[in-house]
Amino acid sequence: MAKLEIRDVTVKHRNVTVIKDARLYAEKGEIIGLIGADGAGKSSLMHAVAGVIRFEGEIAFGGRRFGSPREAEKLKPMIGLMPQGIGLVLYKNLTVSEHLSFFSKIRNLKEDASLDRYRKRLLKMAGLERFTDRPAGKLSGGMMQKLSLICTLIHRPSLLVLDEPTTGVDPLSRRELWKILEEIRESEGTITLMSTAYMQEAAKMDRVYLFDSGTIIASGTAEELTETVKEYVYDPVPCKSERCLSTSHYTYSLDPLEALHKKPTLEALFFINALKRGVEIPQIEVSERESEEPIAQVVMEAKGLTKRFGDFVADDHIDMELKSGEILGLLGANGAGKTTFIKMLLGLYPIDEGELTLLGKPIRSAKDRQGLKARIGYVSQHFSLYKDMTVRENLLYFASMHRIDAAKASSRIERYAKELGFESYMDSLPTELPLGINQRFSVAAALLHEPVVLFLDEPTSGVDAIARSQFWQMLKLLKQKWGIAILITTHYMSEAEYCDRVVLLKEGKKVADDSVENLYRKHPGARSFEEIFLHYYEDGR
Amino acid sequence: MIGTFFALVAKELIGFFRSWGLVAIVLYSFTLDIYITGAGIEMQAKNIAVGYVDETGGGMSRKILSRLHMPEFQKPVMFTSQEALSQSIYNREIMVGLIFESDFEKSLKKYGRSSIDLLLDSIAATQSFQALQYLQNILLDYADIGIPVELKIHKLFNPNATTSQFMAMAEMLSVITLLGVILTAAVFVREKENGTWDIMLLMPIDPKLIILAKSFSQVLIIMGGVVIATGIVLFGIFDVPINGSISAFFLLSFFYAFTSAGIGLFVAAVSKSMLQVAQISILIMMPLIFLSGAWTPIHAMHPLLQELSLISPLRYYIEGSESIFFRGTDVADLWSYFAGVIILGSVLYFYGFRKIGRLF
Repeated sequence: MAKLEIRDVTVKHRNVTVIKDARLYAEKGEIIGLIGADGAGKSSLMHAVAGVIRFEGEIAFGGRRFGSPREAEKLKPMIGLMPQGIGLVLYKNLTVSEHLSFFSKIRNLKEDASLDRYRKRLLKMAGLERFTDRPAGKLSGGMMQKLSLICTLIHRPSLLVLDEPTTGVDPLSRRELWKILEEIRESEGTITLMSTAYMQEAAKMDRVYLFDSGTIIASGTAEELTETVKEYVYDPVPCKSERCLSTSHYTYSLDPLEALHKKPTLEALFFINALKRGVEIPQIEVSERESEEPIAQVVMEAKGLTKRFGDFVADDHIDMELKSGEILGLLGANGAGKTTFIKMLLGLYPIDEGELTLLGKPIRSAKDRQGLKARIGYVSQHFSLYKDMTVRENLLYFASMHRIDAAKASSRIERYAKELGFESYMDSLPTELPLGINQRFSVAAALLHEPVVLFLDEPTSGVDAIARSQFWQMLKLLKQKWGIAILITTHYMSEAEYCDRVVLLKEGKKVADDSVENLYRKHPGARSFEEIFLHYYEDGR
Repeated sequence: MIGTFFALVAKELIGFFRSWGLVAIVLYSFTLDIYITGAGIEMQAKNIAVGYVDETGGGMSRKILSRLHMPEFQKPVMFTSQEALSQSIYNREIMVGLIFESDFEKSLKKYGRSSIDLLLDSIAATQSFQALQYLQNILLDYADIGIPVELKIHKLFNPNATTSQFMAMAEMLSVITLLGVILTAAVFVREKENGTWDIMLLMPIDPKLIILAKSFSQVLIIMGGVVIATGIVLFGIFDVPINGSISAFFLLSFFYAFTSAGIGLFVAAVSKSMLQVAQISILIMMPLIFLSGAWTPIHAMHPLLQELSLISPLRYYIEGSESIFFRGTDVADLWSYFAGVIILGSVLYFYGFRKIGRLF
């Protein structure tokens, strides 16, 4: 029998099934990956395993079974849970060493030489031994996650449950987090269950489980899994049937095509699964803009833009240029200064230093911006629109804010709904929408006044593979048909592929700014963007 | 311009009516809360529990006890010993205890004077001291004081001298203040919490229009509440008289609602979350309500506080409303209350407007 076995576990939240009949097993020392979009049921399953929520079914660990949080109580000393969110388990006023002794105390560990040795070893693994006196609030995102991890390891759990420990963390810290996990499993034989938003991490796992809207659709090693869909994946070609789907880099088809096969990634499994289940995937369309707008060649020009919060420099003398008809990706880990930069461009934060020209107009005061607002579109993080109004009401409200007359507004809204595939959700509240629909509807709200430049702040985080590819499809069409300039931030390094040009930020500084082709040319050995960016992070050290 | 204004107002009203929790709180505050305050806070002696120990064997003591009756007093309960009576008062079963000692009647007959021991639970101070006053009056009836003067009392404006009408009205005015502040602050802070604040800032709309429309929408909601509360609770349940002009009252309320909305704008400017709104509102509201004379008559306050009460807009609103409902003051003579509310209101609204305007 396996060390950890999850048998037919179902979790419900207020009568809504979030994960159904999940089965999973793990042997001593294995690292198991849970992969899928937000809301696919990963977190719920992990919480059930950690014994913190109620569930149906049975979980067995080390020969003991439990079916409820109460029965799991006696196993708790063997389990370590790290919830989702950077630095969530930390107390920002406590120092690194205070954290370790606090977590030792609440775990009721005996203070002896061996504990001391173990703590020193953890600190060393996390590369935090020089920062023991620093309060957690002053650590970088990557360091916070490493500290959270070693705090979770302090009682030597034999089962480690990590909910997206690497999301939003810079590539270098992510590699170090992995090193800690590898070392711990070697020396302690710990089983690790971890969810991740990065498909590339799956390759390092002993087995991955793919989650799609509440069910596990496949499991195995990354290689085994991609092998199963190899025959359906081609180079991008136009699709003719319902049983086929094209994205900008791949074509997936259940029927054989006259095209070259392409090596699939794990994402292919989600597409093939959707095709097999006959899920209708709306084809994204964009028609020409209704108004003729002369667009300046250079839409945005920033020179030495700087933003400080007290002693902390969020953005340090950043130069950037955005041209019309260009998708510019602003990449970086959480806390690198991406959102701050966008907010400075939009005037949501005052600029401390530097010069900014928007649409050919130098920006010196809020008054300079007032006239430009009608030509700028913005989608904020988490697609925040009004939760108590339906999709239609939201869109009508935004149209009236932009003084678009009612008849024109409603015809435009109908058209966007059809083209971007959220027609059937017009009378739902934003909270009832799937994340991917919400994302496109938010962009529609930002496009109602036909802007010439679009700023998007982390529009893709947590969105499933299919919705994400539709989203990029939409941006590409907007660029082609509207000649719009798009600035988009993301912490998924792999999304750089979809951009014309990328700017990489690291701790408030610009470390790279080049076109995608040039970056590949400069780093001939690199297999992915992830690796290219790792170079820039390492160089900076 | 007008179209945008109404689109903004409509959006806030839709938002309000869709959040049923908020609607429920507003409805509760304007109906049940006012009713409970009016009916529940009783300053007059009513239904007081009386106990007694009678060691005299009847006679005079009976006569006195028979005067204690409904609605002021419950039927007196007999105790066999002083200890039992004290214990009962300690347990809060009895509020007033009378002890007629064995020589009470003898002494009365022999010397023409005597004494009764009276135990009072003075935790409920007002009630027990009013009970004391009743008892003194009863005893006075039996005594021959030798001054043949009788008081002839004329109660003006509130002939039954019931406090419930005034309490209910004062509570309604406090509710208007509190909700005016919290609702207005909420429409701004909810945007901060939901992350729509940035989107709002980026609309090509004059920020002044946004602030005005948002606060106006909440004034409308408050006015709706005022109509419900006046119609159903004040007139319907408490039979509050209306001796003056009701439209003058609604106009005064409208100005006052803008005053509290102004405070709400200030609260919104300094709060990041709804929790902070609640905390800061209470902090600002309490002195405002205490200084207004809603709970303590202004002439009974410390002289310094009396001066301070001049800057509480609620004071003018309460005195104005009181004049309209009870005194039946002529509209032309209400100008001082209108002036007080409008002047203080403009200052507060303008200040709040400037304060939140700086965030745009």
